Amino acid sequence: MASFASTGKIDIKRQTGFGFIAVACLVALYLPILVVLVFSFNNAMSIGASWQGFSLRWYVTLMKNQGFFDSAILSIVVAVAATVMSTILGTMAALATTRVKRWRGQGATMLIITSPLIVPEIVSAVSLLAFFSFIAQAFGISFGILKIVLAHTSFCIPFAYLPIKARLEGMDVTLENAAADLYADRWKTFRYVTLPLLLPGISSGAALAFIVSFDDFTITQLIAGPGETTLPLFIWSRIRNIVTPELNAMCTVLLLVSIAFIILSFVLTKKKQD
Amino acid sequence: MSNIASSQTAKGGSVSILSVLKDFGNFRAVNDVSIEIRPNEFFTLLGPSGCGKTTLLRMLAGFEAPTDGKILLDGSDISMLPPNRRPINTVFQNYALFPHMTVAENIGFGLKMLGKSAAEISATVKEMLRLVRLEDAGNRSVTQLSGGQQQRIALARALAPKPKLLLLDEPLSALDLKLRKSMQIELKRLQQETEITFIFVTHDQEEALTMSDRIAVMNGGKVLQIGSAHDIYEHPADRFVAGFIGETNFLEGELTASAGGAGTVNLRCGVTVEALTAKSVASSGSVTIVVRPEQLEMVDPGSPQSVDATVEQIVYFGTDRHVHARLGDGTALTIRQQNRPGMREGLAEGQKIGVAIPPRVAQILKD
Amino acid sequence: MSELATLQDKEDTRRHRLLALPAILIMIALGLIPLMIVVVYSLMAPGEYGGVVPKFSLEAYVSLIFQRDMFDDTLTFSPAYLEIYLRTAIFGVVTTVLCVLVGFPTAYFMATRPADKRNIWVLLLTIPFWSNLLVRTIAVMFIIRDEGLINTILLDLGVIDHPITLLYTNFAILLGLVYSFLPFMVLPIYASLEKFDFRLAEAGFDLYANRFQVLTQIIIPLAKPGIVTGSILVFVPAFGAYVTPLLLGGGSHLMIGDLIALQFGSSRNWPLGSAFSIVLMVIVMLALLFQLRRSGQVKHG
Repeated sequence: MASFASTGKIDIKRQTGFGFIAVACLVALYLPILVVLVFSFNNAMSIGASWQGFSLRWYVTLMKNQGFFDSAILSIVVAVAATVMSTILGTMAALATTRVKRWRGQGATMLIITSPLIVPEIVSAVSLLAFFSFIAQAFGISFGILKIVLAHTSFCIPFAYLPIKARLEGMDVTLENAAADLYADRWKTFRYVTLPLLLPGISSGAALAFIVSFDDFTITQLIAGPGETTLPLFIWSRIRNIVTPELNAMCTVLLLVSIAFIILSFVLTKKKQD
Repeated sequence: MSNIASSQTAKGGSVSILSVLKDFGNFRAVNDVSIEIRPNEFFTLLGPSGCGKTTLLRMLAGFEAPTDGKILLDGSDISMLPPNRRPINTVFQNYALFPHMTVAENIGFGLKMLGKSAAEISATVKEMLRLVRLEDAGNRSVTQLSGGQQQRIALARALAPKPKLLLLDEPLSALDLKLRKSMQIELKRLQQETEITFIFVTHDQEEALTMSDRIAVMNGGKVLQIGSAHDIYEHPADRFVAGFIGETNFLEGELTASAGGAGTVNLRCGVTVEALTAKSVASSGSVTIVVRPEQLEMVDPGSPQSVDATVEQIVYFGTDRHVHARLGDGTALTIRQQNRPGMREGLAEGQKIGVAIPPRVAQILKD
Repeated sequence: MSELATLQDKEDTRRHRLLALPAILIMIALGLIPLMIVVVYSLMAPGEYGGVVPKFSLEAYVSLIFQRDMFDDTLTFSPAYLEIYLRTAIFGVVTTVLCVLVGFPTAYFMATRPADKRNIWVLLLTIPFWSNLLVRTIAVMFIIRDEGLINTILLDLGVIDHPITLLYTNFAILLGLVYSFLPFMVLPIYASLEKFDFRLAEAGFDLYANRFQVLTQIIIPLAKPGIVTGSILVFVPAFGAYVTPLLLGGGSHLMIGDLIALQFGSSRNWPLGSAFSIVLMVIVMLALLFQLRRSGQVKHG
């Protein structure tokens, strides 16, 4: 039965135990991450050792690690390229499929653009592997890291597309009508009204595309050739043979990069649709 | 630019709406509408929601193309021009101020699109801010403004390019009553100062009566009557217009004779009245007369030329009161009386009264 | 003039098609065509060093169910692969159910916080939602290793005298899957609960329902679209999981995702891997259809 809270009002929203589960859920989600982070500062020689005191030594070691740097740079190059391409294509597709008179093939277009979200990643990975090896075999074309960029672009498109589409859907058509009423032609309406208002959506989509590309492991691992090692692949290659907290330091760096972009995207999305 | 929008010699433009039709799929939103709007006129499209008034306005603005018919501005056909090539500006219902621009940028937007110089834009923006009495608001963000201020900025923005025609789509509907009243006066003033033709869309009959030079009453996609506020209120063309504008009593009867714009009607309730006739009414047959509550007189029961009624309810309005009464044949009547000292006291529900209809005030409608 | 309007519409449609075209082409080239290649590869014979030999063969699909005797070519029923599919399905379903059981109360609690606190909660769940899966899985590994946090604490407290084996077990995989995909469940449920009009709950109390009845009769049915979306977002990646079982199952507790990668990697049997992929896709699609039909019924009912 509903009980009176101290305010003298019945709190109809309360459900016993839900708060406990929520807090436990949060703790469980963050505990492992925090352990990785904290132990990256452990002044110990071995990854399994207990706390030996605070030290930045593993970050210093990491800074001297050429392999880490090379892979981080490759990751950034790939992510930037994939982000730029997928954001441009995603913006165009969102403009073409939102608030428009329905056209034949629009449903199919939206389905194919969002398809990477429903195809299991491992299936995408092996099909891209098969695709690129087929092209290499049939036409003798080897794409190098371009194939990673292309693959990332394709699965980043829905992540860029959806926030932009959402922003567009929330946008008042009368603003564009008002621009046309005030003598702006189609291009000027886009340039001065639609685009500035869409910008938070585009930035949010771009930030998500960047995270998704920067973090990708499965697809990259299957299609990457020798020497094409992105940061997640580099970490993977070190899991079994690095036994020092340098691994924690690497993981922390990777996490912090994605967390920065998540917060960026979050703030942009939350920015009032005014 | 070979753009009509750039020619700004004349102030208010004249508009001819010629047999305009608009279909949305199987739905006919605007049905064969023809209206002539004079230069420098405050013209109102009045009707209930869904009557086609907003669709007509959108065709004037250029957001919809007519399915058939033509729209002329100062004699030239603009039906095919996109909105950005028409010297017509709109004040939108929700104002549609650009949230990412300042007040001044909003007001200057149209001029910027027309390629005016920065100096000219800034001068006009100042002028417009003065016109709407918000001189200091130029650098503020439009999201910080109150509803009434946003309304003024929307007006200033639409007036800044000095259009030949200003369209206003229920611009006062979001304001509270007091603000609405003062904006009505403000709008009228702006129209007189700028000498621009205003076309105002509303569903509020009082608003229409207060501001307009002429009103077109619309229903079901058709124009039912065009006329001055006085014409429409005193001489409604049909039952819908009479019922939509103000409170009205309808009485059934037989027209026995008519001459010189008036006729004699034997009302079903037993009295005979002399009422005004519209041109299109036949000279005899069954008719309906409309008589406004304030035109009815309350007299002692049994008085000559009056009909007996029973008071059912008295509603007090401050400046006046409405007496709802019922005639012997079951017809309901409303009588409005101004409250003043010495007014007939002691009127009670259930009391018998007499109701008299003065000659030549009621209007005969075609049945 | 109606012709003019129609012409304008046609012009707009042409423009919109053109605008969407580059994205469509990329998705076809790098999504649809590769998938078609996998379908074709699944119907061919394996090449000696990976790849395929271009001749038609149903062998890959046959070997999903049967084992061919090396000497006399007879087929005997072999459930080994089917068992992996079954294990994967069980992992997928159990993960989804656990995520609903934990995720719904969490989302509900979030949705009933004041607006400013709600945003913080959403951010706190958004961070693991998008954080690197590999790193998060490694983090779980650290926690449940023999020398990990859990065992260390239990040893220090004297609850146990030698470490319990947690890593490389089914439990580890399940834990990893729930941990990985829980935010995918919470956020969609939260999205549907956030819009919930609590006057409906008041109406429920007014009509003599108790707290539990209000929850089960009013709130949960109205949050169903969120639960369905969340279930899809959890089930699809859990069913196709690759990294989680690889790291936490230690190669001995395979899920279908790992089996597929294995065929394209060291086993060098691309047709078999392709066939596995196709079957995986079909199962995922069927699950999606089933869920979408159910959420469709919610809308109409």
